[in-house]
Amino acid sequence: MSKMFKLSSKIQCEVLIVGAGGAGLRCAAHILEKRPGTKIMAVTKVSHPQKSHTSTAQGGLAAVDPNDLVDKPIYHMFDTWKGSDCMADQDVVRKIIDAAWEEIVWLENRGMHFTRDEEGRLSKRTFGGHTVRFGEASAFRAVFEADRTGKGIMDNVWGEALKGGVTFLDQTILTELLIQNDRCVGAVLFKEKTGEFVAVSAKATVLATGGCGQVFRVTTNCRQNTGDAHAVLLQAGLPLMDMEAVQFHPTGIVGPGILASETLRSVGGILRNKDLEPFMVRYAPKMKELAPRDLVARAIETEIREGRGILNPDHNIEHVWIDLRHLSDYVHAVQIPEVSGFFRQFMNLDPRTQLCPVRPSNHYQMGGIPTNAFGEVQRSPDTVIFGLYSAGECGCASFHGFNRLGTNSILELITMGRFVGERVVLSMREAADGLPADAGDRTFSQFSKYLENKNEENIDQIREDMRRMMTEHVGVFRTEEGLNTAIRTLSGFGERVRSTGLRCRSLQMNQELVQRWELDNLLSVSMVTAQGALRRRESRGGHARIDFPQRRDEFNSHTLAYMTEFGKIRFASRPVDMSIFEAKGENHEKFGLIERKY
Amino acid sequence: MKQSYSLVFNIQRYDPDTRKSWMQTYRIEAGRILRFTDVLRKINKELDPTLAWNSSCEHAQCGSCSVVINGKPMLACELLVENAVNYFGTTTFTIEPISVAPVLRDLVVDLEKAYDRVHRIRPFIIRPSQNPNHGQEYRISPRVMESYLEATRCINCFCCATACISSHKGFVGPNAVMASVVRIMDPREDATEDRLKQLYSEEGVYRCHTSKACSHVCPKEIDVAHFIGLAKEGEFH
Repeated sequence: MSKMFKLSSKIQCEVLIVGAGGAGLRCAAHILEKRPGTKIMAVTKVSHPQKSHTSTAQGGLAAVDPNDLVDKPIYHMFDTWKGSDCMADQDVVRKIIDAAWEEIVWLENRGMHFTRDEEGRLSKRTFGGHTVRFGEASAFRAVFEADRTGKGIMDNVWGEALKGGVTFLDQTILTELLIQNDRCVGAVLFKEKTGEFVAVSAKATVLATGGCGQVFRVTTNCRQNTGDAHAVLLQAGLPLMDMEAVQFHPTGIVGPGILASETLRSVGGILRNKDLEPFMVRYAPKMKELAPRDLVARAIETEIREGRGILNPDHNIEHVWIDLRHLSDYVHAVQIPEVSGFFRQFMNLDPRTQLCPVRPSNHYQMGGIPTNAFGEVQRSPDTVIFGLYSAGECGCASFHGFNRLGTNSILELITMGRFVGERVVLSMREAADGLPADAGDRTFSQFSKYLENKNEENIDQIREDMRRMMTEHVGVFRTEEGLNTAIRTLSGFGERVRSTGLRCRSLQMNQELVQRWELDNLLSVSMVTAQGALRRRESRGGHARIDFPQRRDEFNSHTLAYMTEFGKIRFASRPVDMSIFEAKGENHEKFGLIERKY
Repeated sequence: MKQSYSLVFNIQRYDPDTRKSWMQTYRIEAGRILRFTDVLRKINKELDPTLAWNSSCEHAQCGSCSVVINGKPMLACELLVENAVNYFGTTTFTIEPISVAPVLRDLVVDLEKAYDRVHRIRPFIIRPSQNPNHGQEYRISPRVMESYLEATRCINCFCCATACISSHKGFVGPNAVMASVVRIMDPREDATEDRLKQLYSEEGVYRCHTSKACSHVCPKEIDVAHFIGLAKEGEFH
């Protein structure tokens, strides 16, 4: 191993936060409010915390206003439980929903520019799946900042973290977690800008790295969402939970994958195939375009698979059309201006006169790093890793179960971020443990191989093949045969990546090197997702098996998957917390194993 | 309609290991609605994996992919090939890194250094004003908010700072000024005097020559110069 591979320094801090998006920095802000002067280091893979993917969330943030005369937290809990297809943990659901409004006030008091009503109060809007009185009527529950709620959150938590004195490390990746005797003592980081490896010793380490949507060909996720923390965790012998629970949005804009929101269909947009046939009538004769998300997504996917899709030559992706041409200018200008704008901006077409290309787009990973309701990372259902926490999309407590409701994701990241902060403050040790002598060895062996290989497999090509294959076999719908093909193909990719070579052999700002590392992470996440999907012989929430179309009670537990060697997975399970149901309080029967029917 | 274009990309390169800079020409065929980020990815895959460039969300919400294209600072993710050909009237494009931060490699700059300017103006509420509605949200009229909301859409892509003719070391820069003006106009901020003092200091708004290049290049179409103008006049409401 060459001299390039050494720890350039050892850094000490009290709290190491990996991922400086909404969850990570909310956590930092809380710690600094309760324990000013805490030495926090926040690491981000992007070029600055403000660039984090939290910024792109549009819709809103669900929270029940205590002054609301109609809405109640119990209704929100019910909607979340029902939406999750009975896989959310009820202790987590209660905790997050009870804390939701406090978080809204926190954000507002610190400067978030929420949209207001005429009286200067926070405006609220409705969102799919959010109801009052257990499904009776739509709830006005989502506060928002125009169509850029995530940006409002991001700007705020970044500002507060900056104000509190967080040290930031931009364009830096986590390559290794340092865990000894179920205690996390820190991590090894790689600073892309300078090409240096550093070991950080910390009393608490928080993983808040976001999703892993780059596994799929069309995704709303950003370029950096490659499941890095997920993979690093697997290497450390820790499990991932429910990775087969992936949410696809039925109508992503072909190419960039941006969401073409539900609104397009609710205002009267018609889905058409290559023969211009309005095909939804064959799948949902009554509801047609207004059928639930998963049904619409499967209908579109079926049209494409049966050869009635259209190929976009530039992006080389098949799609169907959404027809908005018959809608009035008023609808275009007032009801769907943003989405209309996206088609103009990224497709160069006019939705008033032209058909718009859409297809299902990967949107959200419900599964992730298993934690308890305090965000403490678990090795098994009854052991936590002391000093290791996770929050945000990469974490899985689980608030969303197998299907996430709109506006619940940024609620989860902001509340879980705070809960982790609370826990860190409470359990912070006096002194950090020393770093293990072999800190960095695993990283060096991994990275030196990347640079040593001289063969000619193309990293971009393997990634593209993988994303295409995952979309086809582990996407909107799955079958035993398809999943077996996926697992076999992934093993093949695992072989192929060994023969990739890098043209740029520097450590400094080497994009190719980082992409090579990301590819390993993507493959690991893909493998766990595919095998989890194969094992779960039922359909539930975002996991749809054509060969097992019903939900089955025998699968009413979370999947835990351990994989220290690529492809070799050991499974375990974690029971779903049903404490609201078991408490036998008022309305507890709403929290049993209910049907997810709308 | 032309389906595909033969493009010439002249890209400014820099290798931090040898400290050499050079201009490299890539010839590539690209579909009409590919974004410039898609074309850069295509260059990586088909021609040169070593070319480094920056992006993240790739739909104009994060401001990571700013580059200078034929002299104009722009987001590479929202420029479609067909539009670029029409806008510039050519299929040859010179692409350079933005000028407000040191180059790390090729088109990637050290954005952290660019952000130093924004950090200096303190992009948060420095001292919260009294909230009569204690424990709840501040009541703010939508009318009051309308006067500054436009400026909160800024994504700190630094296109304005790159285009600004006064953006030498002395000036904190258009986006930073705007971030401070937002908080001056925000009724929740009490530290307006501190902020004004900074805006009227050596690094403040009087460095601005009112070329309005900032408004002209802003990818979010924010009238940045308007907010700098408010600061110059001291007239915020």
